[in-house]
Amino acid sequence: MNAIQSLDNAQVLEPLGSALPRLHLPDCRGLTPLLKRLAYGLAFPLFLLFLWQTATERVWLPPQILPEPAFVWETLLDMLGTGELKGHLLASLQRVAWSLLIGGTLGLAIGFAMGLSRTAKAYLYPSFSLFSQFPVIAWSPLMIIFFGIDEALKISTITVAVIVPFAVATYKGIENVPNKLMEVGRIYRFSFRQTLWHIALPAALPAILGGVRQGAMQAWLALVFVELLASSEGLGYLLVYSRNLMQLDVVMVCMAVIGAVGLLFDLALTQLERHFSKWAPKGY
Amino acid sequence: MKKIVSLAAATLFSLGLPLSSFAQENPKIIRLAFSGAGTGGKPASGGSFLATAHQKGEIEKEFEKDGIKVSWTFFVGAGPATNEALALKKIDFATQGDLPLTVARSNGLRTRIIMKGSQFSRNYIVVPTASPIKTIDDLKGKKFAVQKGTAGQLRLNRVLEKFGLKESDLKVIDMNDDSAKAALSTGDVDAYITSSTDLVSRGLVRRIYKIDDPKVNAPSQIWVAEEFETQYPHIVQRVVNALVRTAAWASEEKNREEQYRLWAKTGTPYSDYKEDFKGDQMRDRLNPLLDEYYVSSLAKSVAEAKQFRFTRREVQLAGWVEPKYLNQALKEQKLEGYWDEFDAEAKRKKAGAAK
Repeated sequence: MNAIQSLDNAQVLEPLGSALPRLHLPDCRGLTPLLKRLAYGLAFPLFLLFLWQTATERVWLPPQILPEPAFVWETLLDMLGTGELKGHLLASLQRVAWSLLIGGTLGLAIGFAMGLSRTAKAYLYPSFSLFSQFPVIAWSPLMIIFFGIDEALKISTITVAVIVPFAVATYKGIENVPNKLMEVGRIYRFSFRQTLWHIALPAALPAILGGVRQGAMQAWLALVFVELLASSEGLGYLLVYSRNLMQLDVVMVCMAVIGAVGLLFDLALTQLERHFSKWAPKGY
Repeated sequence: MKKIVSLAAATLFSLGLPLSSFAQENPKIIRLAFSGAGTGGKPASGGSFLATAHQKGEIEKEFEKDGIKVSWTFFVGAGPATNEALALKKIDFATQGDLPLTVARSNGLRTRIIMKGSQFSRNYIVVPTASPIKTIDDLKGKKFAVQKGTAGQLRLNRVLEKFGLKESDLKVIDMNDDSAKAALSTGDVDAYITSSTDLVSRGLVRRIYKIDDPKVNAPSQIWVAEEFETQYPHIVQRVVNALVRTAAWASEEKNREEQYRLWAKTGTPYSDYKEDFKGDQMRDRLNPLLDEYYVSSLAKSVAEAKQFRFTRREVQLAGWVEPKYLNQALKEQKLEGYWDEFDAEAKRKKAGAAK
């Protein structure tokens, strides 16, 4: 189970009627559930925006440190217009794509190996458990020594961040394939390949996609960190550089884009995951 | 009587003259900052009379009797970090290079430039000894380290422009001095812009280009935050007095060696300063005057910062340079004419010609 789904399905505890007046959310009858959720979800960001606007109007912080929302918006449009943002975004996305490809392949391989073979699990699982304990930041000094500061550093660091969620999800997915299905396979004397393609993979697919989603998120988060280190392009780079030139509006645009792209990743992959969950075997 | 006093006070108040300027109110602390630190972030600086003043405790001596504390900050993040501190009102005086100075003003941060910090620095573009790079043209597509947002970046852009190149023709990577030196020796970056001679004498790097044009090496400056200046003009005067005294001491050739030793506390070796200042008169390099050279150089930096797209808004030059404190100090200490003035072309004006 992943965060968003569990949130969706969770029972929300209402505040105790006796202690607190029960908060009535505005009744939005006539709106589709999606719009309703959107409206509730936007309430807090809008409040933050209002707070931001007020803070700049009343100069709670100097404008050099906290530029006004309208100015940040203008900068966003300007950067979209000049193609500056696109260039940096593409550089970042490219790094993530490579890392997902390499890290994803490795992660899937490790996950499948551990899930399908007891021997592989016995050899790999303890080391893997240890490996998964290190945060990406802890890898960076070693990585710099091994890979220098070039593209290799960025891609390898993000790759490390990707491997763990991929491998864990795959392994768990296969481990949780209902025994009944495996038994059917055994009765039909499926070969290893048949077991993999016709039973393990389809049954574990939703879980694996969950891993893909988490992997992509991890990659995106690691990316920004890695680009802060030493680069000449990418969103993380633009973030630091703009800070050096006191262009806090650009910093905020970068943050907004990082957030938006991350959210987009998440939404798209969640949809994909849901789509595949529909026909996956359930209820065993 | 009481009535008259209160009436006078009210009149003054209504005229917009704060009473404090008459009462000569003192701050509790004077906060000075260097846009840089010694090796490994050591709290020390070198190569300027402000650094000498710090090492010799000249500002502290000046304000000891008033019980005013003096604090010094050394920003590893260099000029850009100084700007953030200024925006958050955490510093009163600072020395800074031309690019962050201009960036600050274009963002509406208010400073008054009260003295030149130093001038005629020498810089070099260096590459690892074994590197095949020989000319500026060879730098195309190579990894070049520079601390972004500092005077070094603007300097690099000026050099590149001379050779018909742009920053985007290179892969320019943001690194501070320590990291850049390490990265050069491991071959992680292909080139660096630096004043250091240390790496050369250790055989780690080779110079491919010497930057000795005073129009490329813009002078550094010392400023006071406008808010502080408005509130405590008498303190600003005394800080400048102490600094002019130090600058005069620092400019004496007999103090050259001692000064290198003081500066070497940064971790930059003595030999580095010796080599850097070789053949120059101390009084030329440590010249505090806000002369024609300074003012035209400042205007040029402002224009270039805009041209290279480091600043986006116009920068107002009017009211920025404030020479009155310096002039007062020179007069009091009978130092008028001690330092030579330089014209817009960085040529020495003939003695007496300025008067």
